[in-house]
Amino acid sequence: MLEFFINGQSVQAEDNQTVMQAAKANGFYIPYFCWHPQLSVPGNCRICMVEVEAEGGGWLDIACNMPVTKGMRVLTDSEKVRTRRKETLQFITLNHPVDCGICDKAGECTLQDYHFEYNGSPSVSRDAKVHATKHYPLSERIVLDNERCIMCTRCVRFTREISKTNSLGVQNRADHSLIRPVEDGRFENDPYSDNVIDICPVGALLSRQFLHKARVWYLKPTPSVCPGCERGCSVNIWHRKTEWKLNALDARQNACIDRVTPLENPAVNGPWICNKGRDLALIFERARAEQAMHKGKPIDLRPAIANARALIAGAKRPVALVSSWGSNEELAAFQAALGERFACYVKTDWLPAPGEVLEDGLLIKSDKNPNGAAARARFPALPADARSAFPPDTDLVLIWGEGFSFAQLPSKAKIVYLNSYLQPENGHADVFLPISVQTERRGHYTNFQGTVSAFEACFAKKDGIADAEALFAALAAPAGKASS
Amino acid sequence: MTGTKLIMTFPVTATSHLLSEYRARGGYATLEKALRQMRPDEITKAVTASGILGHGGAAFPAGRKWGVIKLNDGQPHYLCANADEGEPGTFKDRWILENAPHLLLESMLISAYALQVRNAFVYIRGEFDLPYRRLAAAVEEAYEAGYFGERILGTDFSCDIVIYRGAGSYVCGEASALITSIEGRKGYPRNRPPRLTVRGLYQRPTVINNIETLANVAIIVARGAEEFRKVGTAKSPGTQLVSISGHVEKPGVYEVEYGSSLSEFIYSECGGVLGGGKLKCIVPGGISTKVLTAAEIGSLKFDHVSMVAAGSQVGSGGMVVIAEGTCMVRLLQVLLRFYHHESCGQCTPCREGMGWMHRIIDRIVAGQGQPGDIDQLIRISKANDGTTICGMGDAAGYATVGILAKYRDEFEYFVEHKRSRHEGRLEVAGHA
Repeated sequence: MLEFFINGQSVQAEDNQTVMQAAKANGFYIPYFCWHPQLSVPGNCRICMVEVEAEGGGWLDIACNMPVTKGMRVLTDSEKVRTRRKETLQFITLNHPVDCGICDKAGECTLQDYHFEYNGSPSVSRDAKVHATKHYPLSERIVLDNERCIMCTRCVRFTREISKTNSLGVQNRADHSLIRPVEDGRFENDPYSDNVIDICPVGALLSRQFLHKARVWYLKPTPSVCPGCERGCSVNIWHRKTEWKLNALDARQNACIDRVTPLENPAVNGPWICNKGRDLALIFERARAEQAMHKGKPIDLRPAIANARALIAGAKRPVALVSSWGSNEELAAFQAALGERFACYVKTDWLPAPGEVLEDGLLIKSDKNPNGAAARARFPALPADARSAFPPDTDLVLIWGEGFSFAQLPSKAKIVYLNSYLQPENGHADVFLPISVQTERRGHYTNFQGTVSAFEACFAKKDGIADAEALFAALAAPAGKASS
Repeated sequence: MTGTKLIMTFPVTATSHLLSEYRARGGYATLEKALRQMRPDEITKAVTASGILGHGGAAFPAGRKWGVIKLNDGQPHYLCANADEGEPGTFKDRWILENAPHLLLESMLISAYALQVRNAFVYIRGEFDLPYRRLAAAVEEAYEAGYFGERILGTDFSCDIVIYRGAGSYVCGEASALITSIEGRKGYPRNRPPRLTVRGLYQRPTVINNIETLANVAIIVARGAEEFRKVGTAKSPGTQLVSISGHVEKPGVYEVEYGSSLSEFIYSECGGVLGGGKLKCIVPGGISTKVLTAAEIGSLKFDHVSMVAAGSQVGSGGMVVIAEGTCMVRLLQVLLRFYHHESCGQCTPCREGMGWMHRIIDRIVAGQGQPGDIDQLIRISKANDGTTICGMGDAAGYATVGILAKYRDEFEYFVEHKRSRHEGRLEVAGHA
């Protein structure tokens, strides 16, 4: 540890820290575009210029690349520093279109914030701006607006240092410089490509899914956990704020996932998530089962629960297949209410999709279920040959969650099926009970490392859909005491 | 006339660049002497004692650069010869590469021995064709004669050399961009710290010297530092190769001893302004150095101290003579077009500033200048001063501010009258 001074205040720093790191650790803010705590230091944006006081003058240099030395006196807000910042921002906005009004990044744009905070004056240029490609198709997922790009090269460094696909680079020189993908299309196959959208300090890299979908200030991030694999990355699920509810247009827009971004969690995923995590809408917004059924015929939820309870109460040899997508709370409720009554096995709800990355050194894990480890800590896993789990005299099977073919069930067994999505099997069950999905409830998942992460409810569940946690107690309750 | 010669000591003929003739002039004897009679640190000491300053333009003491390299620190060191001579008006290294390639190679071997370098590199400008062919042939000759490779001249010293051709970028002449380019990446300069002598090529300590600086090493070792210091002035020992071009009677490469009279060099040795014209100003050492007017040249001595005192620099020795009647506005336009074209685009002030200045000067020349444009140019120049990763932003600013400080009236005239004070093509009498 060594002592140095920021704006006259004594500050402690590690020996090999830069001024930027030490300032950040001690609560001093120095603006930056190109610097990123997880990436190398290119020092190209020049906005983090600070002044070092020294005898006989002193000098200005970039904080991100300046090692702290003992007794060093740094000024982050001197007159000289403010002038430099202003000049740098004038340079950066020189050829930037300043089209915040139609830019998806507006509201969370670093350039916008800094311009407001450190510059505030209109352009001092009289000359036409340099034009560049407006909608460059970087990949199926991302479009690039080269005019908005400020050449911080965070995206380039991300593909070199984090996702390691080396799929982006810089073409041309001077103010004609362009971010471009390498020619063999590797960027298309980068499973982490969407992170460049988040780390882009301006609106140059745009998600096609989110393009012009909503202004970010109408949206609310709800902390959640990605169920895409057993890593359980912390994410923010963005959805419309209730106070900005849309009354016209499609009402479904008020209860849909607008986008998913990483929620920084050093214990699990750092600041990144993979592209699958961005596509949670593809999982949660499939057609939902909203109607309880008795042998394929719609009935109300309450009598359906009573029917299921009666089947469970009457069964002699019941087997339960437990979901690996259940939250810790649901698993505990299941075990407490029905764990004794059933022979329980944990089933694998989701198998890797064809072409999906199975596992890599960064985040992606091969078990594509969020809570398999926690479920298997309570119950044994379903054997590879599922039929061996069912004794010949099995008379009732409770199936919780999707991903199990009814063809593997003993033919005489009755079926109680709990599922969230509209699937053909639903109608083949003796009792079908629709249950809520992750975005409609709160709970916790335990990932493969044993780290527990919480998720919150984004939307209210519809009437007629049960919450599994409460449902299990109702299914176990003696006849007559049931409640849904 | 311009003093002692150290490098241009022989008449250039069709064969004077060959190994046989270089040997006949006493070539590679210094290498023998160094390898057999001197320790590596003695050579570094001699280079430091000689006081030689870098000839690439920045005039950094070569000995101080070498002194950072720790021998026996258990890691490889690299030596790069910077032959990416791209400063407009400068073509002096080209003379060495074409006419004395073996002097360079011998010096590089001695330097490699001094710095304990196993692999040396020459980064040569891609546009250099004859220099490349001459150097490549010289390397072949030197390998055949046993000056490169394993156990050179039967000693324990081994060294290999690679010639790396650039792809046409001015910025790659900047040392850190040069090594980035050798590493196979886009030639972007790097931030300091770390210095390249601490972490350079392939993250190892690396010495990068200009061709002329390196060529002087064999001369320093042959003569001894003390003898070398007798040439030139106390603060600027040795000589400078000057490539002179522009409106001058006898353009070409000259060797000028430091401390010589600048006006004598221009008016007598180079024959003065073309067609007996009047001198307006000179660019003393590459376009990034500030111009000197005819009056300022007066009795100026050509050495680092005097030139800095006069508000300019020796720079890279690329002297451009500008005759009276030349339009400085259009001259600056040419310079700014160059800087815009060559900005690597890595850091903000230069990437945006060069294009901005270019657009402003283009507008002025097109007769669309507006009041305030000149101040804007100065403002952009100053915003580039010391804020960029490499020196290019500063250099463009110095050139602009230098010209504007001395010829602002021409710019104001152009803005006001929408035309140059010096219309048309400059006719220099007596020459077709």
